[in-house]
Amino acid sequence: MIRVTRAGPLCTLQDDGRFGLLATGISASGPMDRGSFALAGGLLERAGTTGIEFTTAGIGLATDLPVRVAWAGGLFRVAVNGAALGWPGTAQLAAGDRLEILPGPAGNYGYLRFDREIDVPPVLGSRSTNLTVQLGGLDGRALRVGDTLALGSLGQPQPDVQSATEEGPIRFVWGLHADLFASAVRAAFLEQPFQISPKLDRMGARLVDKAAVFSGLANLSLVSDPIVCGDIQILGDGTPIVLLRDHQPTGGYPRIGTVISTDLDRFVQLRPGSEVRFTSVAVARAQGMMR
Amino acid sequence: MSDPHFSPILVPLGDTSLLVRFGTRLDDGANRRAVAFARQLAAVPPSGVVEVSPSLVSVQLRYDPKLIGFEALCVDVRLRIGAVEGQATPVRRERIAVRFDGEDLLEVAAALGLSAEVFVAAHNAVPLRVLATGFAPGFVYCGFHEAALTIARRTTVRSLVPAGTVLFAAGQTAIAATPIPTGWHVIGHTAFANFDAGAQPPVRLAAGDEISFEALS
Repeated sequence: MIRVTRAGPLCTLQDDGRFGLLATGISASGPMDRGSFALAGGLLERAGTTGIEFTTAGIGLATDLPVRVAWAGGLFRVAVNGAALGWPGTAQLAAGDRLEILPGPAGNYGYLRFDREIDVPPVLGSRSTNLTVQLGGLDGRALRVGDTLALGSLGQPQPDVQSATEEGPIRFVWGLHADLFASAVRAAFLEQPFQISPKLDRMGARLVDKAAVFSGLANLSLVSDPIVCGDIQILGDGTPIVLLRDHQPTGGYPRIGTVISTDLDRFVQLRPGSEVRFTSVAVARAQGMMR
Repeated sequence: MSDPHFSPILVPLGDTSLLVRFGTRLDDGANRRAVAFARQLAAVPPSGVVEVSPSLVSVQLRYDPKLIGFEALCVDVRLRIGAVEGQATPVRRERIAVRFDGEDLLEVAAALGLSAEVFVAAHNAVPLRVLATGFAPGFVYCGFHEAALTIARRTTVRSLVPAGTVLFAAGQTAIAATPIPTGWHVIGHTAFANFDAGAQPPVRLAAGDEISFEALS
């Protein structure tokens, strides 16, 4: 088994996600940076569906059996038994080996994938941890020091994955409440820079609105409507928040737009203090990028 | 009142969902049409649609853009809207026993000019419909109460109420199936559990079902 020897905050088990349960009140969860999760899997010949998502402080593991492991996402430092290795990368661990993921220069989330399945019971068809409703993963919670993870059957062959290297503004499609924002506010949203605030987690990332784009917003009383991952919602006090993988399935705050699927991975890796700009694209264009 | 001729608005929710909105405010007609349309879509989903989820006055269609684009899906959905029945018959009728012992019960009754007993009797007088699910695991909004039983939400939010808490506001009764924060009035508690992560399906109630509340003494 694998033992957690050091755990930063909010390290969780994730697989592709728990889809199809929105009406039940459960959002899909899954990796914050899906591309990097797949990239780590693609570095292995075979990978279990479930991996570990860690955050900026990293994580330490010890294994008492041989296992092949791959890492990707952001830019962290990694060492096996104290010897530094490259990022992203893989290693064959022997019984007694120790793997350390240490803070690095970029990114909020990184991933560990193994050549075997992490043997926790699937809940409603998925091993993903949903921290908001405390479901899945290891007892619905974040990993902590002393946790042990049993490894099960050999994983499946993985497709090769290219790492994405997009830059520039985060692209979004206008949202269901876009018309409720004055045209001057919509224009300012496109023109002004925002900043990633330190308040970010799997539910959402709050932005600092230094130009006060949304400060004068009237308190709208809206009927509750479905929320999707990437929705840019403006809270009652004018704070913009981008809702992420563990979002509530419905909500009644105004949403000006939704970050496109292609740019979500890049967005979630922006560290607190990073400047972020937004630019709108048509839905058809966003969908063209996904092919 | 909702305009029966209101034609639904189709809007993208990001690049993988389409939202069909039957209204922009909560009313009975818009809710009934959303529930009926969701049921019809779930029975025969449009090509490329992977999930249909009704909300209070809208229906979310999650789809695979590799299989169908937004505009093509809109064409399919518009054709189906014309055929919607306004009434969805309840799939399930449930009697739910409530202990009316909530910390806000007396305050709510007083605000409506009623004694607690009269309020409870009025609350349970007629069956309600499950208007929507989806806010939290197993959570249900039930409505609508008559206008005389309508009261606004509290001005402050309780950080967490336990599963089984029966909530009241905005002409509706809601039941929390997991611990949630809420700004609604707490009027009672029920042993009825609408969420079990180990069960398939994990919830018992769906939008459109009919609920009769009964007081446990």
